[in-house]
Amino acid sequence: MTRHIVRLYIASASVLGLFLAWAGIAAHPWPQTQSSAAGAQAQAQALAQYQQRLQLDAALVRKLTVPESVQAPTPRVRIVTLPPLTTTRTS
Amino acid sequence: MVHRAFRAMGTDVELFLDSTDATTLLAEAEDEFHRVESLLSRFRPASELSRLNRTRAMQVGPELLELAQLSLEARDQSGGRFDPTVYDALVAAGYDRSFELVAATAVVAAEPARCSGHVTVDVASSTIVLESGFRLDFGGIAKGWTADRALALLERGGPALVNAGGDIASAGRAWPIGVETPDGEITLELDGGALATSGRDRRRWRQGDASQHHVIDPSTGKPAEGELLRVTTVARTATEAEVLAKSLFLRADAAAAAVEADERCAPTILVTRDGRTLLAGGLA
Repeated sequence: MTRHIVRLYIASASVLGLFLAWAGIAAHPWPQTQSSAAGAQAQAQALAQYQQRLQLDAALVRKLTVPESVQAPTPRVRIVTLPPLTTTRTS
Repeated sequence: MVHRAFRAMGTDVELFLDSTDATTLLAEAEDEFHRVESLLSRFRPASELSRLNRTRAMQVGPELLELAQLSLEARDQSGGRFDPTVYDALVAAGYDRSFELVAATAVVAAEPARCSGHVTVDVASSTIVLESGFRLDFGGIAKGWTADRALALLERGGPALVNAGGDIASAGRAWPIGVETPDGEITLELDGGALATSGRDRRRWRQGDASQHHVIDPSTGKPAEGELLRVTTVARTATEAEVLAKSLFLRADAAAAAVEADERCAPTILVTRDGRTLLAGGLA
């Protein structure tokens, strides 16, 4: 009987020890190294790029959803033999 | 018809308005060119763009914010052929001051600069952040964008046309516009839209034996060496036309550019360096 209780205490202590070790590691109590700081910076940069992408997509969606009547009309163009009023050239 | 001509943004600007009394509208449209130039010129140290290029990150006004957004959208849609981060590549090619001064004094860097830099635009805070080593240049879009703004001011008085050094925005009626080709001038009748021309036949200079010009190919960081001499294309707005003309000009070969113009249904005149003229995008 006494031996069973000892075994039970040992098993419980092992589980508790394992849990405390896992919690300690997961909490990252040690100072950040240079490589992990660089990793965080890369992650922040990737998120910034993702945010910009979302903003551009939103702008594109806004443009596509603007009613046709609000957009500039489709230009009509043809070649004629009239003298030009003004001339286009490389800007 | 009233007409006004003046210099702004390093080029000749013309305003036409089908009206008899339009002095105020013409003055407003001209003022808009000078105002935008004072904000966005890379040759003016006090401009908002120059301050952004120096500080790399700052809160900006609505004009700079909108142009940055439009430029990044254009870079995305053109597969990177249009790029607002070619500033340092232009400087490396010798275009480091207003063009009148470049031809006499250009010094070309030994190595081309990098392009396609990362730019973060935060609309909510009106903030732009530039990747280290990159600066913005809106020379490839600002004239067309300002022509559209000036047209919006003018057309309150009647049919109007704005020609900003070849970037043309029109409204209200059909306008005859000349396009230079090796076989003589073609006249396009443009009704309700815009057109722009991009090419290597102007704003060019020599450095030793090398010929330099102002259209940078972002894939090399050097002035473009494609088959085309210049491209004129039609779009809804001068901003779109300017971006599309540059994007087509930066195609490596003329046939590919003509195919792209057809696919986009963008009426286009392409002139090659060996003197051929191609019509595309439904223009015949």
